Order: sequence, then structure tokens, then C-alpha cells
Amino acid sequence: MSARSQDVGILEAAKNVLKDTRAVWRVFTKTIYFLFRGKREKGEIARQMFHVGNESLFFMCITMAFIGAIITFQTGLQSKKLLPDFSLMGATYLKLLVRDLAASVGALPLATRVGAGIAAEIGSMVVTDQVDALRMCAADPIDYLVVPRFVACVIMGTVILIIGGFVAYGSGMLVAVVSFDVNPHTFNNFMYLNLGDVAMGFLKCVVYGAAIAIVSAQRGLATFGGSEGVGWATTEAVVGSCFAIIVLNLIISTVGYFLVPGVGPL
Amino acid sequence: MSAAPAKTPRWLLLPAKLGTFIMLMAKQVGGLSILAGKVLRRLTPGQIDRHELFRNMNRMGVRSVPIIAATAAFTGGIMVIQAAPFVEQVQATSFIGWAATFTTIRELGPLLIGLIFNGRVGANNTAELGTMMVTDQIDALRALAIDPIAYLVVPRCLAMVSMMVLLCVIGDAVAIGGAMLTADMLLDIDPRVFWASAMERLEPWDFWVGLVKSGLFGIMIALTSCYYGLQTRGGAPGVGRSVNASVVAAAAGIFIMDYLSTFILD
Repeated sequence: MSARSQDVGILEAAKNVLKDTRAVWRVFTKTIYFLFRGKREKGEIARQMFHVGNESLFFMCITMAFIGAIITFQTGLQSKKLLPDFSLMGATYLKLLVRDLAASVGALPLATRVGAGIAAEIGSMVVTDQVDALRMCAADPIDYLVVPRFVACVIMGTVILIIGGFVAYGSGMLVAVVSFDVNPHTFNNFMYLNLGDVAMGFLKCVVYGAAIAIVSAQRGLATFGGSEGVGWATTEAVVGSCFAIIVLNLIISTVGYFLVPGVGPL
Repeated sequence: MSAAPAKTPRWLLLPAKLGTFIMLMAKQVGGLSILAGKVLRRLTPGQIDRHELFRNMNRMGVRSVPIIAATAAFTGGIMVIQAAPFVEQVQATSFIGWAATFTTIRELGPLLIGLIFNGRVGANNTAELGTMMVTDQIDALRALAIDPIAYLVVPRCLAMVSMMVLLCVIGDAVAIGGAMLTADMLLDIDPRVFWASAMERLEPWDFWVGLVKSGLFGIMIALTSCYYGLQTRGGAPGVGRSVNASVVAAAAGIFIMDYLSTFILD
């Protein structure tokens, strides 16, 4: 077994997390630098956007439809126990969906699909020495490989998460109407939603898109050890981006709770 | 000039695509079912390689504890933060304990743990079996009259399902701790009030629902990752491809499973 699967203590694990975070941060700053200073290859960003966006759209729509149905059903069960009144169900669901769930829960399947793809692609380039060849041609791999994926993930990730949010809202409404006999007009209640929630949700979408791209690209670039290494890099990319999403969610939500309370009308 | 193969007319493109997709789905579901049948037939106690089983349990379960615990703690915290505006709006401090734990234990805990487990263990498993497949190690096992399914697949499936359920128990405990801590720091809710609120309304059934779900997710991850691993063809790039496909398929499977089980385990 490789060095990755050695038994490590808590302290060692914390040190590893710190080291990984620093490596990811380095890739992030470099990406931002090259975003403004780098050379641009024509059509590459569009190609990546197609990969990230159009090709995951179907998967994401299916997943988000199920997520919406699950959440409403669960909320319905919960409120049925507390007080059998579903009049505020739609309003609550809409607020939660916009403020958090559409972005945060949707980002996990997106990370699974997009992150694994990015890490596998870059990782197999690394183990077949294509990245070293790029360096020899004086092309920085971060400029050439990471920046287009970063831009594509930020833009298309946001777009797809917003589309997914709409899908989840629709399927949630369907479940509410079918399972709990809620009137669709009662469900379409924008009472609790305000600008702060929309801003929070949008910020989360953008941040998660960036996190998926950077974490997966860093894992891909750090690949070693042949084809087995590519498998490891893919694994670590998925776990790393999911974990980054959850940590970022906690940070953004906490800060947002104090700055953008989201109580009160629009 | 010989007759060129008939080109699909434009108006048939969409149905043709749909048909291909459905056939592919049917093939995968069928393959998974056949694999499940093969595994079930070999489940009699004497046939299982105990050393391999314990090795996999350690590798898949014990080593996943830190990441699962961290995820669960953050999840519990996030649930409280998201519920906080509502709680402040209606001054329902006595409900937050129940609201946060109910959703975490029944729904979000198993789902997030399943997704992380899928990324960490499922992907790794596919990569390992896939590498064995493309380096002909599985054919070598067959040549030695060792049944690869009994020797490789059954212990892995058993380890994944049992470890997934046990990790979910740990995750539940850590998530409740994280939720308590967040409620105490953010909303000034005494942990004892939180605990009392949770215990007053939670039923043992809620806990069992979470465990059954995580068991189902475990079965899904185990079968999918083994199936894709054994389907690997085409050398090192093939391993990357099947890891990617396996992670995505298992994630979709988890959501579908979750939806079905939420409805059935009302």
C-alpha cells in the first residue's frame, strides 16, 4: 500500500489538512493571478463550460428533482407532527432553498461529477508526463489547464445550481400538492424571502463552483504513482471538494447569520 | 458506389438518444442485479474470507472516521444556523433541538455521510478492482480456481454495508454534538434545553430510519463500485473512466434510494 493509507494519529491528520489547505490556497492565488495576467487560449473556456455545464445538466436536474421531493416530504412529515398546518410550508421551503439548500446540497453531486472529471483528466495528464511537457514549452499548467476550468466551474456551476434550484422548487411543489394536499397558490409564497437570502444563495453558488475547480485541480496536479494514483486523486478530489463545500457553508452561513439576518420582508 | 449506412434523420435524433440512454440504463441496472444475486448466493458464513473482510472493514470504516466525524459535526452546525432565523422569528427555542436532530438523523446525516463515503471508499474500491481487472489479476485468480466474487467482492460489500451503518451511528452522535455546540454559541440555547427538546419528540423509529437508509446507501455504493470495477476495460485510462462513472452512478443511486426510502419509511 502506498504512503497515503498509513495509520496516522489525530495530530498528523490535522497537520495534513493544514498542508492540503495551504496547497489549495497556493493554486487558488496562482489561478487568480493568471486569470488577469495569463494568455488565453481561444475556445478552451467554452469547451470546459460545455463539459461542466451542458453535460452535467441532465444528471443535476434528476438529482435536484429528487432532493426537492425528499426535502418537502421530510418537512411535511415534520410539520404534520408539530401542527397540521401547511400554509407556511412553501414560504419556509422557498427561503431555505434559496438561502442554503439549492446551493449547498446541489453542490455535492456537482462536486462528485465535475470534480472527479477534472481530477481524472489533469491527473492522467500528470502521470503521462504531459504536464511536464507543458512546462517545457514554457506554458504554466495552472495558466493553461486550471484557469479555463476555474472560469467554467464558476460560471456554469452557478448557472446549473440556479437551474437545479428551480427544478427542486418544482418537484417540491409537486410533492406538497400530491402528498399533503397543499394548494399550489398557498405554496407559492414569497413572504419570507428577501434580498439577503438571494445574495447569500448566489454567493454560495459562486464560491462552491470555485472551490470544486480549485480543490479538484490541485488534487489532479498532485497526482503521483501511475494509474492507481489517478484513482486516488479522483477519490481525494471528490472527498476534498465535498468537505470544502461543507466547511465553506458553515463559514458563509455563520457570517451571513450575523451580517444578513434574512428576517423580515423583501 | 456502395450504399452508405443510412444516416439517422434529424427528427429521429432525440428519440434515438433517449433510446440509447434507456438501453444503457437497463444494461446497468441488470448488471447490478446480477451482481447482487451472485453476492447473495455466496453469503453463507463458511465461504467468506475472514482476513479479507476484516482488512476491508479497517481500511474502509475505521480510516473514514475522521472525515465522517468532521462532516457530521459541520452538518449539525449548519442545520442549527439555517433554522436560527425561523427560531428567532417565532421565539421557538424549545423546538430547535428537535427540528435540527430530526432532520439530521433521518435525512441529512445518512445522505451526506453516504456521499462522502461514496467519494472516499466507493471510488477507491472501483479503482482497486479496476486496476486488478486491467492487469489481469482477476483472471489469474480464476486460473487458480479462486472465485473472484467470493474472494474480492463479497468481503468488500459486507464491509461497506456494515461500516456505513456504524459510521452513521458515529455521525449521528457527532452531529447532535455539533448542533448543540452551535445552538449554545449562536443562539444561547442551553445544551440541556436542546437535549430535552430533542428527547421529548424524537422517537426510536427516527433513529432506525436513518440506519436503514444508511444501510441501503451502503448496499448501493458497494454494488455500484464493484460492478464498475469489474467492468473496467482499456488499460489505465479505462480505470479513470470507470472510477468517474461509478462515483456518478452511485451518487444518483443514493438520491433515488433516499427518495424511495423516505416515502416507504414514513
